[in-house]
Amino acid sequence: MKPLFNIKSGGPASWTIRLSCTLVLAYVLLWIPTSGSNSLIDTATTALTLMGAALALNLLLGFTGQISLGHSAFFGIGTYTTAIFVTRWGWSPLKTLPVAFALAFVVGALVSLPALRIKGVYLALVTLALGVVFPQFIKWPKIAWLTGGSRGLTDTGFKFDKDNRTFELFGWNPWGNLRGENVKPFYYWIAVVIVVIVYLICRGLVKSRVGRSLVAIRDNSTAAAVMGVNLAVTKGIVFGLSAAMCALPGCLTAMKGTVTPDTTLLTAIGSITFLIVMVVGGAGSLWGPIVGAIVFQFITEKTGDWADPKEIPSILRPLFSWSDVAPAGGIFALTLVILMFVAPLGLAGLWKRVVTRIVNVVPKPAGSATVGAPELSTVAMPTWKPQPVSAEADEVK
Amino acid sequence: MELFLQRLVDGFSEGSVYALIALGLVIIYRGTGHLNFAQGEMALFSTYVVYQFGEWGIPIGIAVVMGMAVGFALGAVTEVAIVRPISKKSPFAVFIVTIGLFQLLNWLDGAIWGGQQLPNSGVGSKQVRFPSLFPSKPTDFVTIFGANIKIQSLGVIALVAVLTVGLFAIFNHTRLGLAMRAVAANGDSAKLVGIRTGRVLMVSWGFAAAIGALGGVVFAGINTNVNLGLMFTVFIYASAAATLGGFDSPGGAVIGGFSIGLIQNMAAGYAPKWVGQEMKVGVAFLVLLGVLLFRPSGLFGSSRVERV
Amino acid sequence: MTLLRARGLTAGYGPVTVLQGIDVEVNEGEIVVVLGANGAGKTTTMRAISGTIPRQGSIEFEGRNIQKASTDAIVRAGIVQVPQGRGTFPELTVADNLLAGAYVRRDGAKAVEDDISKWYSVFPRLEERALQRAGSLSGGEQQMLAIARALMSRPKLLLCDEPSMGLAPLITRELFKVIGGLNREEGLSVLLVEQNANLAMQIASRVYLLETGVIVASGTAAELSADDSIRKAYLGF
Repeated sequence: MKPLFNIKSGGPASWTIRLSCTLVLAYVLLWIPTSGSNSLIDTATTALTLMGAALALNLLLGFTGQISLGHSAFFGIGTYTTAIFVTRWGWSPLKTLPVAFALAFVVGALVSLPALRIKGVYLALVTLALGVVFPQFIKWPKIAWLTGGSRGLTDTGFKFDKDNRTFELFGWNPWGNLRGENVKPFYYWIAVVIVVIVYLICRGLVKSRVGRSLVAIRDNSTAAAVMGVNLAVTKGIVFGLSAAMCALPGCLTAMKGTVTPDTTLLTAIGSITFLIVMVVGGAGSLWGPIVGAIVFQFITEKTGDWADPKEIPSILRPLFSWSDVAPAGGIFALTLVILMFVAPLGLAGLWKRVVTRIVNVVPKPAGSATVGAPELSTVAMPTWKPQPVSAEADEVK
Repeated sequence: MELFLQRLVDGFSEGSVYALIALGLVIIYRGTGHLNFAQGEMALFSTYVVYQFGEWGIPIGIAVVMGMAVGFALGAVTEVAIVRPISKKSPFAVFIVTIGLFQLLNWLDGAIWGGQQLPNSGVGSKQVRFPSLFPSKPTDFVTIFGANIKIQSLGVIALVAVLTVGLFAIFNHTRLGLAMRAVAANGDSAKLVGIRTGRVLMVSWGFAAAIGALGGVVFAGINTNVNLGLMFTVFIYASAAATLGGFDSPGGAVIGGFSIGLIQNMAAGYAPKWVGQEMKVGVAFLVLLGVLLFRPSGLFGSSRVERV
Repeated sequence: MTLLRARGLTAGYGPVTVLQGIDVEVNEGEIVVVLGANGAGKTTTMRAISGTIPRQGSIEFEGRNIQKASTDAIVRAGIVQVPQGRGTFPELTVADNLLAGAYVRRDGAKAVEDDISKWYSVFPRLEERALQRAGSLSGGEQQMLAIARALMSRPKLLLCDEPSMGLAPLITRELFKVIGGLNREEGLSVLLVEQNANLAMQIASRVYLLETGVIVASGTAAELSADDSIRKAYLGF
């Protein structure tokens, strides 16, 4: 089917589209904290948190083809770094962000070392184990003095001045008399900034030389190595960045005031949640995780009340009313399975399939402008080598 | 000395459970080359089903056999309806599907029996009393060399030993077993000798799930209750066991299971400050990591396993 | 009597069509050889007949249409392929490999055992290594094992895919002697694809020449050797 429109990449039509999308986005972002209800702001903040983590995970998967089921541990590193620095040493929470970033980066880079030798499903297994170990590690009596053990830590967020209800931002108070109720938009904006930072890092990486060598590695590591790409360093950087970016939303969680090791997002379930968000949105696509997080949070919220049968819209009642448990978990699990049949590249993949039928983006003629790196958004599904059980038997002695 | 013996037996008893789950993992891996992340949750589902049968008045022994049959069906259907069509797409897709199944089954368990779902990972989630297969009152123990050994532990070890022997008999001395081994060795050639590989794979998954069901039941008995988080750590331990033994070696899986159980228990018992209950899973993690780094094919696996 | 008749056989891999509609026949008691260079489509032909890849066209075996049959059904009908590269079960012992070969048989364990003994006497080296893992055998031994395994199912038609590949000339000669012998003494029909024209022609009843998916010549071995142009172009002597 021939596409209906042709749009030149970089031409006026494409710029118009990009501009209008950005304007709409900006409008929505501003509308939420100013005119939205408190619960909407909360939801948005949670969605942004998931977004950041999923984008981080996506970088790893899309670029190096490595699956991690342990990103909840990096998220947790962010959480606990902020919590500990704030409670023990009285740091201002925002100042802990770079520290958490750096710490998670180092841990991520360290994890990438064994990951060089361990591939595919085995890596997923090891990282899953990591994700399971992390909460246990926090509870470990040997370091519970630092982490507060099973009970967790409190007062890990901003200190609000009770009388004026103001607080200091980097030791500076630009807010004047900020009332207590307006705290939620503050978290919201921090979340937005975090996501923007993460997104920019991802996008920047994609377009850079490092980005291109990453795609080379992913597609054929032997060839890449032969061409001089330093596998270890590049993979280490990517893993480190992925971990570091995942820690930032974790910090935000701590800033809300309390921290416990059994919080979902810090456990292996959290890792799986990030995975779900990423896959539903579209693994390997730059804005897939963004869409995924929004959809995920939306559905979770909408169906959150469905534990009570009265809340379920009547059409769906017979489907869900038999249980007194919120159906979101089951819905997403089922979605994951169905998605692999129907749209393995997630919503982003579906969108592309639809859009490419209508619109054809004509690339710039070769030789003009700078040679761009392959877009992360055009990255194909990670090509794991299957674990072959039927090895060719022609190993002639 | 007594303490040592007790810990030894306890370790083997726990290890039996890991051996069972690991066996399931290995059978599936050998047949289809996939790692079934949902193995633990399939076992959990079957365990809940056994509980339900018990609630309906069926004696525990029969309930377990029926539960294993349910597990078999679950595994077989999963292979035919979900894994087989998806495996034509990509290994990544299969992986995601098993994760999805993991989540789905756990949610289902919560929805039907748990009344409460994750995130609590067992902490605070509804716990359901589960009877043990063996006499397990505090007074049910024998004294060997001065150590008090629970009858339950001995019973579990014996059960797993018998099952393992039975399985090996099936593998090595029956037509079905030959077919399963042939498919695992060379799927294409298996077709060429007239084996219906699809059917064999379906049965392999069924077997794996049935064995897992038994593992779940045994573990629930030891644990005295079933809860949603029951099989999370067990899955990790079982994976470590399968890795240690060699992912394509059923014998390795059993030995690996017992070994991990032993290592865990000894470590937790003799180094309570460093390991204790919290970090038992940390030990498994280290074993997993160590094996994959230094001897990826495990103790008994073939070098093929390395060719990832 | 025609055992196998394929008309307009078309097959390929994905978007690439390798066989462009060929006609092949094997009569009872014949050894039919398909010669061709690399990429001509020899293995594709084998796979199309044994059902391991999808194919179009008409294929009849003993008068029955097998175009839509699955591989295991085709094996049960009596066609067995010895794949390129041996295709043994590497972790299984030699004995188990042979046992697996008899998988579709329903005539009892005794008959199967008798056959195993028979093939041990034809291939004594296999008997020596009966309990060894098949993967540890040499190339020639694996090829013998593969053929013995295929024969364990008492096929009516044996499909051999480049049996000489990777084997020393001495072994290859022995192999072809065995195949020729089986054909003479037991009436085994064989469809053989080969690059090595010399040896194959010596046992062939009829020969097809396959070039890029098309049959360019066919006839008895004598006829083709007699034709100068064919001989020079395809048979290299």
